[in-house]
Amino acid sequence: MLRGLISRFRLTLFLPVIFFAGCATVPPPPSVPFTGDPVVDGNAHLAVAPARDRVLWEYRVAAAALRRGLYDEAKAKLDNALAAAAANYGQVNSEAAKSRRMFRNESDKPFIGEPYERVMASFYRSILYWRDGEPDNARALFRNGELLDSDTEDKTYAGDYVLLDYLDGLVSAKLGGDGADSLRRARENAKQQGRAVPPAYNPKANVMLFVEYGQGPTKYSGGEFGEQLKFFTPQSRIHSARIEVSGRWVALPPYDDVSFQATTRGGRLMDHVLGNKAAFKQATDTVGDVALIGAMAAADHGGRDADRAAIGLAAVGLFSKIASAATTPEADLRAWDNLPQFFSFAALSLKPGEHAATLEFLDASGAVVQSLTQSFTITVPAADPSIGAKMPDVVVFCSELKK
Amino acid sequence: MKNSLQRIVILSTGVASMFLAGCASSGVQNPSGVPVTEMKADERGFVAGTGIESQDLVTVTDKMARSILGVREIANATSVPRIVLDPVVNDTRFPINKDLFNDRIRIELNKHSNGKVRFLARDRMKTLERERELKQQGAVTASSDPSVVEFKGADYFLTGKLGGMASRTSQGVSDYVLYSFQLIDARTSEIVWEDSAEIKKQGLEDAAYR
Repeated sequence: MLRGLISRFRLTLFLPVIFFAGCATVPPPPSVPFTGDPVVDGNAHLAVAPARDRVLWEYRVAAAALRRGLYDEAKAKLDNALAAAAANYGQVNSEAAKSRRMFRNESDKPFIGEPYERVMASFYRSILYWRDGEPDNARALFRNGELLDSDTEDKTYAGDYVLLDYLDGLVSAKLGGDGADSLRRARENAKQQGRAVPPAYNPKANVMLFVEYGQGPTKYSGGEFGEQLKFFTPQSRIHSARIEVSGRWVALPPYDDVSFQATTRGGRLMDHVLGNKAAFKQATDTVGDVALIGAMAAADHGGRDADRAAIGLAAVGLFSKIASAATTPEADLRAWDNLPQFFSFAALSLKPGEHAATLEFLDASGAVVQSLTQSFTITVPAADPSIGAKMPDVVVFCSELKK
Repeated sequence: MKNSLQRIVILSTGVASMFLAGCASSGVQNPSGVPVTEMKADERGFVAGTGIESQDLVTVTDKMARSILGVREIANATSVPRIVLDPVVNDTRFPINKDLFNDRIRIELNKHSNGKVRFLARDRMKTLERERELKQQGAVTASSDPSVVEFKGADYFLTGKLGGMASRTSQGVSDYVLYSFQLIDARTSEIVWEDSAEIKKQGLEDAAYR
């Protein structure tokens, strides 16, 4: 009699397990042929990416396109991505809201990136605005970047990008405004972070040189259930750079470190949500263990009442275990994985004409890494004599990560 | 015993159903997309953020155009004043198409001023100068002597500035934008007219992004 009842009870308990197994399946991601070209491959991934990952692929393609000199492509991708990120303010994002639920993954939310990733999107787009002769729009995004970094847990690190402040002030100075405050902030942040102090502004500079090097941070998870978002940055072989233009050497030290920015944000609100999920997962797992052990002990005891108690405890234990297994506290590890670690900048004043330039990357000992040396020509156009014509700055972007 | 077991079975099934309800997704929203929604340019759309948007542009430029028409130097001018548009300076954190502000003010003034003002196409000077050169070379016909300079000079410059102030906390972001426009006498550098509009917006980001 009892054996029959237990058998039926087991059957009842297995049914939800089967249901859970069914609801856990996900369609396999479509396969994308690998060509080795980061722009082609990135666009192929973007074409088949779920809506929640589109911004992630747009970021990656934009960085690769910018390094290749595919500026229109980079602009289009960054504009889409920035619009998606900006639209989150004041909007009800139901998918993001769902990602906070106990049984949903954080990675279910539409990706817009952690603040350091969103800052980099603004920074890259600002370079392109400047290149298009719109320095004030570039300045707008330097400010936007600084704002995105302004809600750190420890206010020491709030809005502390050296270059964003420095370039904000440089544009203001070039447009006839006062960039002194921005320069002061940039220099204070540089000193605080132990970096090179950027030089005074030269409002007559007409060539803006942006250089990036080193591999940026990647994400990994910590904590018992992977609920903690952590960052890892591989040791960069390149520690500095310099450029020679028309016989003059200009140093390009790392003014900003993306890894530093990623790791000085402090905790996120989402970390508390994930922490609660982890605590629930742990608690339900423990309750399940206790209940199942209790059920076994009761079953060993023998007798009708003990059997009933065993069945009840087994039910509680099993459902606790199921609840624990279904809880998803894992942090979202999707990352803009082709970011640089370091950023540098120099403003040069060059006469109209062609200028041969050689960019060298230096290792920790200050030695030139010959294999990475880049030679190119900076062309400064002659002044346009048309009435009302303005001379835009020449903007040059160079990357050690160019593929 | 049988009743107790039935209760346990019912209870188990109920609990399982509750878990399943939590696990089941509510389905993809708008799987076929959303039909195109035509909106007025001065209407706040359903994807509005805290940035500078079309409704702000329309509100601000309408106000400026109306205000300029009431300026004594324009309304009582004995000859038609010539105005050159100087690009708006963007001093906010939002990249914008700056020409839109001047363009819309110019369009509104041309529509409603009954010829009281004329705008000079300084942004087309390269093309115009090329055309004059062709006329001077005799490559194309000319209805007047092409060697005589007929490009007009400005009586006034219309320009503007978008200034911004933003703050961000773990709760969201707040943005204030001051739109100011000026009409400057090209001869005396006097500011003969100035007006402004200000808009403040706040937005809360989902906790999943904070």
